[in-house]
Amino acid sequence: MATVTHVPPSSAPDKGAARRLYGTLIGLAALALTLAASVMFGSSTTSPGDVIDVLSGTADEQITTIVESRYPRTALGVLAGLCLAVAGTLMQGVTRNHLAEPGLLGISAGASAGIVTATAFWGASGSTAAMWWALPGALIAGIMVQVIGSAGAGRSQVRLVLAGAVLSAVLMAYIQAVTLSKPQVFDSYRYWVVGALGGRDFGVFTAMLPFAAAGLVLALALGRGLNALALGDSTAASLGANPWLVRSGGLIAATLLSAAATAAVGPISFVGLAVPHIVRAVVGTDFRRQIAFSAVVGPALLLAADVIGRVVMRPQELMVGVVTAFVGAPALLVAVRRMRGNT
Amino acid sequence: MTAHPAGPPAVKRSGARTASPKGFLTVGRTIAVPARRVSVLTALGLLALIAAASAATLSLGRLGIPLAELGEALSGGATGKNAFVLERLRGPRLTVALGTGAALGISGALFQSATRNPLGSPDVIGLSAGAGAGAAFAALLLPGTVSVPLGALLGAVLAMALVYVSTGTGFRNPARLVVAGIGVAAICTAVTQYVVYAMERDNASALTSYVNGSLSSRSWADATTIGLVLLVVLPLVALIARRLDIGEMGDDIAQGLGSDPKRTKTYAVVLAIVLSAGAVAVAGPISFIALTAPQIAKRITRVPGPHLLLSGLTGALLLVLADLAAQQLPLFDDLPVGIYTMAIGGAYLGYLLVRERRKGAL
Repeated sequence: MATVTHVPPSSAPDKGAARRLYGTLIGLAALALTLAASVMFGSSTTSPGDVIDVLSGTADEQITTIVESRYPRTALGVLAGLCLAVAGTLMQGVTRNHLAEPGLLGISAGASAGIVTATAFWGASGSTAAMWWALPGALIAGIMVQVIGSAGAGRSQVRLVLAGAVLSAVLMAYIQAVTLSKPQVFDSYRYWVVGALGGRDFGVFTAMLPFAAAGLVLALALGRGLNALALGDSTAASLGANPWLVRSGGLIAATLLSAAATAAVGPISFVGLAVPHIVRAVVGTDFRRQIAFSAVVGPALLLAADVIGRVVMRPQELMVGVVTAFVGAPALLVAVRRMRGNT
Repeated sequence: MTAHPAGPPAVKRSGARTASPKGFLTVGRTIAVPARRVSVLTALGLLALIAAASAATLSLGRLGIPLAELGEALSGGATGKNAFVLERLRGPRLTVALGTGAALGISGALFQSATRNPLGSPDVIGLSAGAGAGAAFAALLLPGTVSVPLGALLGAVLAMALVYVSTGTGFRNPARLVVAGIGVAAICTAVTQYVVYAMERDNASALTSYVNGSLSSRSWADATTIGLVLLVVLPLVALIARRLDIGEMGDDIAQGLGSDPKRTKTYAVVLAIVLSAGAVAVAGPISFIALTAPQIAKRITRVPGPHLLLSGLTGALLLVLADLAAQQLPLFDDLPVGIYTMAIGGAYLGYLLVRERRKGAL
């Protein structure tokens, strides 16, 4: 085989480096801004001064209670956003498909099916149990969608997404069958499935933390392998990476991350789809950078969606899952117009 | 309209030949319909199965009309309990199931032929989700002014219009159609989930039932609606069936043979949507019949072509069977029929999985 010259990820180093620097700074600023907004806004708005007072412990009791009540959902938003974004980046790298993400490919639906099954038939409860039950569901769904959607000569981006949609539909029907015949499960299910950060305490956050950490570490360890995989299977193999191993590792990491996020806050679509596109535009094709930057952009995006949901219908609240669908789906529709080819 | 002539169209001028040409079904000396023998046999087999399933639907269970009395009841001699069951309870429900199933089957065949994708059907790309959102919207925000089925119909049509607008190329590009459809479906699902979240539990449960597609307590008015839809749309389907058949050979060949493949695709998708929307109006969004019926028809006959008629028959059979399960299986109480059609979809997915492992081609 001919020698493979290693092409640096970005063609113009200087320009790329500058873009990365500014991009990262803007991303971090956006994250700081959304963090501040997330503790400030809600059914009653507090001013930046109030928040600083609360942080330094000089605010009055009422304001302190209001602001501190927003800590758990903010922490949860950061972690869930990170999980979804990194999972999306991994899946787009593993499948080499720019439409891949946990929600569209049915992995969230798989996690939901796992949780609903456990709750309805084995009486599982609590957030840690939900995490564990979400895992096998998400993994099975992930493998199934890969097999149905990407095998054969007619492999195409659209077929994978369609396979995800069909799989999600089957799983949702199963979930409906179970929840409709068990009113108690139905009641807790409908509050969870819409995808909300509010109304949860720090317990959910701590239950989610080990899963998210494991997924993130695995993702970062796979960065080099994913870079090789992007050049095609045979090239990757000649560069010393094992394509099968990288792909399986990527799928496992993505499963861990999306199962954790789904179990904690419900199935949320489009964060995992949108973030990798933003990230690629800023940091280029190197997956190590993409994963790290996803961990900044994802939380910022999810928190922003949550803050929007708290403000638009005040005093009522629009759940973050609804907001991401309403913001993300139109973005997908705009992207459709730029698609080429017929199948 | 369901099959190719085997060779170049043989001469079939009125009564010129006495022997029936191969690949044609002849009636007397003047009528020759192009049809393969296997297709005709399959159609007859399906009709027999549909008749058996229908008889089972009418006669099983506590309220069923005993088989011995069924013939008499159907010929108009039903009395007492039998008349009530036939005319009020199961008769309309069975008729609606037959019509809706046929509409969905043909709809899926049209759609899959136009998009040339075995995983596509109007309900997957947003029609069902749109109908669900429309129903939810009508139930929550406009109770009383807009009925839930009308809301579902409007939602379905609106969702498809949104898909049409957002692809930028109408219904001509299958890949864009699919991705745009999934995007629209996501928005609609979010609306439905929000409404289910915001409602009281009993209402939410009823709405969720409806959103999965239900055939319980249908009336003759519903049967008339789906009958009218079929009556209007089927002749139009017959008109484009030939060109759709040619279209499956590829755009270039179709163009060479003098048809406009893009226009044919648009017509096919529009007719598919009208049929599915009709089904939604009478039975709510029932999923997976449109997806699986054409595939099953294709597997049985193993001849190329869109199999419109056979898909319709298969769809009717599947829905009657699913509704029979919904009525008679003691598994869960009173689940909507859409949950049982899901099992068909799941089986289809499993089949695809197994085949992928063996063949490596979709």
